[in-house]
Amino acid sequence: MKNDVVVLLGRQFFKKTFSKKSLLALLLLFVAVLTYVTINGWNAFEDRHENIEHHQNESRDSWESNPDKHPHRMAHFGSFVFRTQHPLRIFDSGLESYTGNSIFLEAHKQNTANFSEAALSTGLVRFGDLNIALLLQLILPLIIFFIGYASIVSEKENGTLKIIYLQGVSMRQILLGKVLGLFMVSALFFIPALIALWSIAYLENHDMNSELIMRSFLITMSYVLFFIVLCFVTVIISAKSENSNKALLSLLGGWLLFFIIIPKTAQVVGSYIHPNLSKIEFREAIEIEVAKQGDSHNPDDPYFNKIRDSVLKTNNVTSVKELPFNYSGFLMSKGEEQSAKIYANQHNKLIESYEKQNSITNGLVLLNPYLAIKNLSMGLSGTDFYNYTNFLSQTEIYRYQQSQYMNTLQMKFISNKAEGSEGKVHVVDKSYWKDAPKFDYKYVAVFETMKHQLLTILALLVWLLLILIMTYFSNRFKII
Amino acid sequence: MYSLLIKHFFRLKTVWLVFGILIILGAFSISTGKQFLSQKEEAITKAITQQQKHLKIQRQYHKDDIGLLSYYLKFLFINPVQPLAGISIGQSDLNSYMQSVSILALEGQKHNTDLVNPMRQQVGNLDVGFLIVFLFPLIVITLNFNLLSDEEEKGTWKMIVIQSKSSFKFLLTKLSIRLVFVFAVLGLLFLTSKMILGIPFTKDFFIIIAMSYLYVLFWFALCFFVILLRKSSSTNAISLLASWLLLVVFLPVTISNYITNVYPIDEAFTMEIKQRDAYHEKWDTDKKETLEKFYEHYPHLKKYGFKTEGFSWLWYYAMQQMGDDDSKTECEGLYNKIKKREVLSKKIAQFFPPLQLQLSMNTIGKTSLSNHIDFLSATTKFHEGVRLDIYPKIFENHHPDVVDFEKYKPEFFKSETNFSLIKNVFSMFVISLILISFGVFINVKHFC
Repeated sequence: MKNDVVVLLGRQFFKKTFSKKSLLALLLLFVAVLTYVTINGWNAFEDRHENIEHHQNESRDSWESNPDKHPHRMAHFGSFVFRTQHPLRIFDSGLESYTGNSIFLEAHKQNTANFSEAALSTGLVRFGDLNIALLLQLILPLIIFFIGYASIVSEKENGTLKIIYLQGVSMRQILLGKVLGLFMVSALFFIPALIALWSIAYLENHDMNSELIMRSFLITMSYVLFFIVLCFVTVIISAKSENSNKALLSLLGGWLLFFIIIPKTAQVVGSYIHPNLSKIEFREAIEIEVAKQGDSHNPDDPYFNKIRDSVLKTNNVTSVKELPFNYSGFLMSKGEEQSAKIYANQHNKLIESYEKQNSITNGLVLLNPYLAIKNLSMGLSGTDFYNYTNFLSQTEIYRYQQSQYMNTLQMKFISNKAEGSEGKVHVVDKSYWKDAPKFDYKYVAVFETMKHQLLTILALLVWLLLILIMTYFSNRFKII
Repeated sequence: MYSLLIKHFFRLKTVWLVFGILIILGAFSISTGKQFLSQKEEAITKAITQQQKHLKIQRQYHKDDIGLLSYYLKFLFINPVQPLAGISIGQSDLNSYMQSVSILALEGQKHNTDLVNPMRQQVGNLDVGFLIVFLFPLIVITLNFNLLSDEEEKGTWKMIVIQSKSSFKFLLTKLSIRLVFVFAVLGLLFLTSKMILGIPFTKDFFIIIAMSYLYVLFWFALCFFVILLRKSSSTNAISLLASWLLLVVFLPVTISNYITNVYPIDEAFTMEIKQRDAYHEKWDTDKKETLEKFYEHYPHLKKYGFKTEGFSWLWYYAMQQMGDDDSKTECEGLYNKIKKREVLSKKIAQFFPPLQLQLSMNTIGKTSLSNHIDFLSATTKFHEGVRLDIYPKIFENHHPDVVDFEKYKPEFFKSETNFSLIKNVFSMFVISLILISFGVFINVKHFC
């Protein structure tokens, strides 16, 4: 009996909302835009994917077609990594437009990831990225507010709320009924978006086992949770407002504050409190560290002289020319080891300062469900901050392996008499270029992402709990 | 009459709420600009001192070999920040504004990015420009949406029609009070920005001010038009907000997406691979051929001859040069694509005041993408200048001690913008005018 009333009220709200033709038009428009965004995003993704693959192969082909060479020449020939994008970027492009797409990996030099999409775009790009998540995170909440702002307050204004109340329906039931109705209406909007998500997951699921399905499932759950929270918030604000104008104004003000102002402010404040090094300072910090440890290019460097002496001693020879392996190759491998450590150390510090900057946003997820869904959605779509830094570390690991591979070849095959890397005398067979490992990018596993997003998930659940408590006590709300 | 209406206006709670929000966000946006400017200035100062240190250290490390020293030496070229950039940060937080380049192949160096947190870039900046483009329209809407409908709904409108000489004039008076209020707040915002960001009163600054005022006027015109359609307050609110959502959120995003898809930039990757391969393959090809190509580019260096035995710096730097020369087509292709994006953006933006204002502010504040591309092209020139100056010294094997490397001081990029105010405000002006006259036209019979 009790639940019947809730369902009845919900159905009534649903029917009433759709009695207006304008809403149907809005729904059709939304679905049309959604379809356009999905198809368009998908095509762009496929094109980009093809482009990346094409250039990746081209770069590798030219690497492999090198003739016999001195291995150090190959170490500087280097390789490019063009970042492959996660298929779910069609759903939520997250930071993708702002993160570098190509990185050049060579011996003893760490380059930045360059050519982000935004860096090649005009000022218009700063208005935002068009993707399914934008529609769900920014536009749909506004639509929910527009549909739901009058849900209870208009009944108050008409005087019908009193009548419903007198018939023995509690405020709690009215509230739940309206939320149910509003949620059903919003479901008509977000279900097509989730269908788009699942079709991406289904069609792009070539070699990723059930990863994509798992991700899509978690994304679906989080958005459903988010919209439940939003529907509750809308109806509660409608119930607590004096008149419908005020309800609309508070909801819109809230949208502006929570969806636009707070996210921007949080990042600005974050970078103000925890500034990070500029590139020149960053390079300087590394140079100072390297100079402290010793310079492998300097023949009289005490650090490297010590290494030389101990190597000579263990091999029982008096000069480096007599060593059974190429000494300069050995020296470079030592230098690489040392400078890579220093770089990693500084780079970690840099990432830490970014993380500190982001910590304000990440902390605010508890107060702002929009930030929560934004972070969660980005994370699960493989386009968040953590995914990017993870990409950078993978490239650095690969760069290190590639350089050491060449240093090992040099130690093994190049004579100690070699004076330089010029000419056709001191060379290594070209078959070794083919044997060099390829870069294999691995996305962050879902489990790992979820570990990073624990607070976010918690935040959404806390919000759900909070509004359920409010609903429980809603019988105290004013009826008149 | 006026004083009563003004009194009434200031008794509205919304007005004070709006004013309060603007003060807080205004202060915030100006300090964002200030922070941006001072961070950049600090970084530039540090870079200049670092440059001197760098020169000294490298000269100590490589005392005897000028070829090797030139391999390590880096030269600084800076795109200075203008105070106006504090108003509209634009694209300048995405692109590197300092180039520290050696005389080796340039293409592999100049596209290196700065270190910036992508999360910050993604949410964008809350600068004064954003406040004007994004929030001022909302303020105009909040103050005006029920200008007429509220009186009608409360029943006071009939009294006004009966009692006042011209009800239309009354409406205009009410509107003008709001206009003056918003204009005053906007003026205050610019004045404070001027003082805190240290913007000089130049033509550029006045153009930004004029365009912003016109932009606000456009929103007033739109409100005026909607008000005169004489619908209910909530219909007005919803239709005005829908137009705001369309013009400031949805259309810009769609247009930006459209432009990205019309001109996808594949050239960047192709160029990178090309410049790497072009240089490296020269290690295995005929030295004479490389040098011939090099002399083709710089005939005046031909006197250094063809030394093809073993390693020589002449050959080495010729190889480096080939990396740039051979990837020139790809590089130009990239710049052309970017220019096409810029042109198309501007073309479309004409018809949408928010886009128009944002792009114009970026152009004037020298924070646009094309400013960055100009900076990159100037870097190429700067680089060539240093290169050609040092080449003979290396080829003649001067001793590093006798070469005056200190004369290569950090240089600043001077950009030129020819921004035409009339061309850029024309369509915004026309759109506003059409809206106003249309509003008046459909109401002629009501008010006469």
